[in-house]
Amino acid sequence: MNDLAKIFPWLVVGAAVLVLIFALMPPSIGTDKINLQEFAALPVIHDGRMKPLDSVARTTLLTLSNRQDYKDENGKTRPAIQWLLEVMAHKESARRVQIFRIENDQVLAQLGLEARPLWWRYSVEELSGKIDLILEHAMAAQKLKSENRDLYQQKIIELARHLELYSRLASLEAPLMVPPADNNGSWQSLLQAFTELRQNQDQSNPAAHTLLVLLHAYSHDDAQTFNKTVAAYHQEMEKRFPTEVRRTDFELFFNHFEPFYQCTLLYLSVFLLCCLSWFGWSRPLIRSAFWLTVLALLIHTWALLARMYLMNRWGVFVMNLYSTAVFIGWTCVLLGLVLEWLYPIGIGVVVASAGGAITTLISHHLAASSGDTLGVLQAVLDTNFWLATHVTCMNLGYGATFVAGILGILYILRGVLTSSLDKATAKALTTMLYGAVCFATLLSFTGTVLGGIWADQSWGRFWGWDPKENGAVLIVLWNALILHARWGGMVQARGMAVLSIIGNMVTGWSWFGTNQLQVGLHTYGFSNTLAFGLVIGWALHAVVLVMGLLPLRWWASQDTLLLSKPMPSENTLPAVKRHGKRSAKRSEAGYFAGPA
Amino acid sequence: MNKASTQQITTIPAPPAAVSPLRPARRSEHFGLLKKWLKPLASLRLTVGLFVLSMFLIFCGTLAQMDNGLWAVLSGYFRAFIAWIPFQVFVRFGQVFFWFPKTWYVSGSFPFPGGYLLGGALLLNLLAAHLVRFRISWKRSGILLTHAGLIVLMLGELITGLFAVEGMMVIPTGESSNYVIHTDKTELAIIDPSGPQTDHVVVVPGSMLKQRQGREWIRDERLPFDIEVIRYMVNSSEPRKVKPGEKNPATAGVGREGIVDEERPGRGVDAEQRIDMAAAYLTFHAKDTGASLGTYLTTPWIDEEQSVKVNGKEYRVTLRLQREYKPYTLHLEEFRHDLYPGTDIPLNFSSKVRLIDPEYNVDREVLIYMNNPLRYRGATFYQADWIRSPQGDRGTKLQVVTNPAWLMPYFSCAMVALGMTIHFGMHLVSFLRRRTTP
Repeated sequence: MNDLAKIFPWLVVGAAVLVLIFALMPPSIGTDKINLQEFAALPVIHDGRMKPLDSVARTTLLTLSNRQDYKDENGKTRPAIQWLLEVMAHKESARRVQIFRIENDQVLAQLGLEARPLWWRYSVEELSGKIDLILEHAMAAQKLKSENRDLYQQKIIELARHLELYSRLASLEAPLMVPPADNNGSWQSLLQAFTELRQNQDQSNPAAHTLLVLLHAYSHDDAQTFNKTVAAYHQEMEKRFPTEVRRTDFELFFNHFEPFYQCTLLYLSVFLLCCLSWFGWSRPLIRSAFWLTVLALLIHTWALLARMYLMNRWGVFVMNLYSTAVFIGWTCVLLGLVLEWLYPIGIGVVVASAGGAITTLISHHLAASSGDTLGVLQAVLDTNFWLATHVTCMNLGYGATFVAGILGILYILRGVLTSSLDKATAKALTTMLYGAVCFATLLSFTGTVLGGIWADQSWGRFWGWDPKENGAVLIVLWNALILHARWGGMVQARGMAVLSIIGNMVTGWSWFGTNQLQVGLHTYGFSNTLAFGLVIGWALHAVVLVMGLLPLRWWASQDTLLLSKPMPSENTLPAVKRHGKRSAKRSEAGYFAGPA
Repeated sequence: MNKASTQQITTIPAPPAAVSPLRPARRSEHFGLLKKWLKPLASLRLTVGLFVLSMFLIFCGTLAQMDNGLWAVLSGYFRAFIAWIPFQVFVRFGQVFFWFPKTWYVSGSFPFPGGYLLGGALLLNLLAAHLVRFRISWKRSGILLTHAGLIVLMLGELITGLFAVEGMMVIPTGESSNYVIHTDKTELAIIDPSGPQTDHVVVVPGSMLKQRQGREWIRDERLPFDIEVIRYMVNSSEPRKVKPGEKNPATAGVGREGIVDEERPGRGVDAEQRIDMAAAYLTFHAKDTGASLGTYLTTPWIDEEQSVKVNGKEYRVTLRLQREYKPYTLHLEEFRHDLYPGTDIPLNFSSKVRLIDPEYNVDREVLIYMNNPLRYRGATFYQADWIRSPQGDRGTKLQVVTNPAWLMPYFSCAMVALGMTIHFGMHLVSFLRRRTTP
């Protein structure tokens, strides 16, 4: 048993590594089958940047269907690239696969489609007779101001946009697939190139010709020609654009590995291990959780660096709403691991896994709504210096505030629901919480002011009272409030836990809430789902908040907590008594002293 | 005990040596009194209370931006002593997040301490705290530096609020400009074009027009005629055709063909950066007889100047955005606005300008682009917008800001970041040291 406890963490990590290696393996291709991998790697220009065709397929399918794969007519799961190839080659089967996700009952009723609970996906064929109706309703809705549209109108506009996206691919208008014949020209879509090809056969672009052969071979199931042509074409592109193709090939690998998805799985496993540890055999389980988190953090870090390489922006962790989620998650995990290393009592790993899992899950949702997560940046944001400083600091601040909030939630849930919150644990939790709040104050303040300086550089005003800026300053003020309330002896361990939960709500407001107002300079990332998710998040926090305010005698941990003195005085925080005159006196000594 | 001491004083004159140690004691007594008064002001409870109030104000000021222009919110909430917060802001919050019906409207508002009041109180609280607990030690150096940085930041914001001026310089490609227009102010310009080389211009500020709306006429010896303000609109819609049967206040000039409607003041820092387009219906009267010369529609929507004849002499009038002339000139050589291939996402905006200042013998080429402004003689020029036309981009619009306090946030940021790093760093180090040596 003892030996098992020792090697158990290594078994867990080893198993995880095996699973990851399995995920890394390229899918096998038979010689008589179409070489989809080679096709997926072809570099194209889409949404302003060069990327492998695989990315076009995945992001489009993700937008239309909220999945990166699809089910063919026989119900077999297929990769996105196959769908794209079928659409481009105008295969009949492409019209029959169900890829348009429509959940709204009014839209379904209007279009006369049956509800498909738990699946909610419809094919082009099913929609084909109704396109005029959809466009007509969408155009009418488009004329209204966005805040005045009802849910049906929003959904019909969304569907119309999805249909447009699809038709651009099907008509070969997008992406720009054909490289210029010489290096001075610009990229063309297949539609443009084929039109030119038809007009003057002799002076045509050889690449356009090759791609035509490729699509033709696919539509006639001629795997041999297809594979030979695609391999030759890929080699040719490698020769012409060596650095770019190295990057797009890497992106293909990145897409295939799906590192953030792997991280989500790992964080969820860690969380599971933590939950198991509460019922016994805790040390080996916590140790396993710790090392599994280290593994996940390594992959997470690698993925962040890989994104930098793909964007060619070193030092820039965050450039859109999607990447805030993965980066805030990374911050939570890193801080959680540091806390676990300082206090190996299984709290840091819970923080790391909860923070990591929730934020990466949010990021998967954001990816579905934003399409290309590596999209190009418009001119005002196109500055690596400010993205690397202001945005990074801000998001580290968000992350640290969330860590404090999660610690607060743990303190209250453990105290109210279990009898396991003893003196030592409470003390450790409070010290960790205090440290996280200090860290959050420093980073969110610096980040906010750096943002002001950036604004001064680009618009000529340091502070504009823009909703997002106000959100940032709310976080700073709230963290400062927690610290001052602590130094003034107005709150104790429990009070800090309660305040840090409000800190989470404030951060949620700043992160997603301010964007929903649709005013100001940071008007990206508006979505009803986000607003709804935020409300759910607030509600859950409010429940824990109320629990935290319950009288101590209702807490399951009341015996362990009430027996102990209000707060541990040495080693952690300034000693301050509960209320009354005496506390005010003591607090003064503690004001500037901080936890010492 | 008391008695004994009285005796001592009456019999033996106090030696000077005995007096001197008393002096500092008395001083500290004064100081003690000051401390006693300052103590409530220095309280940490006050700090926390002020934080809560500030957060509430900022939150409401954010929500208010859904209905009001940024400038209205700025002057009504943050650069104000008392803010009147309408209850409707909470309804709006509910409409965005909590499925409140879109038609709900709650009238009324309540007073709340505004930005100046809260900022001032926080500043006093901070200063009092440092006075009462004044003590210099390494341990507190971080806190001192942090708070000093905050004071710099708050003062900077105050100076910006009081003295910073924002404007816009519009230069068509191949042309020059030496004036900045202030988009938040308008002026009525009455131009006498009869001069051989220069026009003689008299301007009436828009604020005066607004003030005299429907009241006494504007009379001044520098004006060639008297002005009666029939109607003044802070913001107006683009002129439209007059509907049949509709009453048009204008009886002369281009206003006879088009009419404007009043609009609520726009959102200042909108993504579109819309400017308030004022409009005024003015009746001009001959000075001697008081006879009407006609009612004119004047607004920045109308580009050309309108002609008004009085006693056979022609004047031109226009209501335009206020102009401020600079002692130097910018000449736009090229404006670039590129897109990412296959998209309409802007890749860059840049203006290649020639800066000409005869006073300082300056004549050089400057490239102004996003995140890279030109700073010259106290003013900063930012790439803000461009002149659009169906034929393509025709020139640049530069945001021009004069702010004496622009450097203060830079100092503040460095001070606070360093201060907090020192303070929290010291705690962290001592915490880690305790861990390693139990």
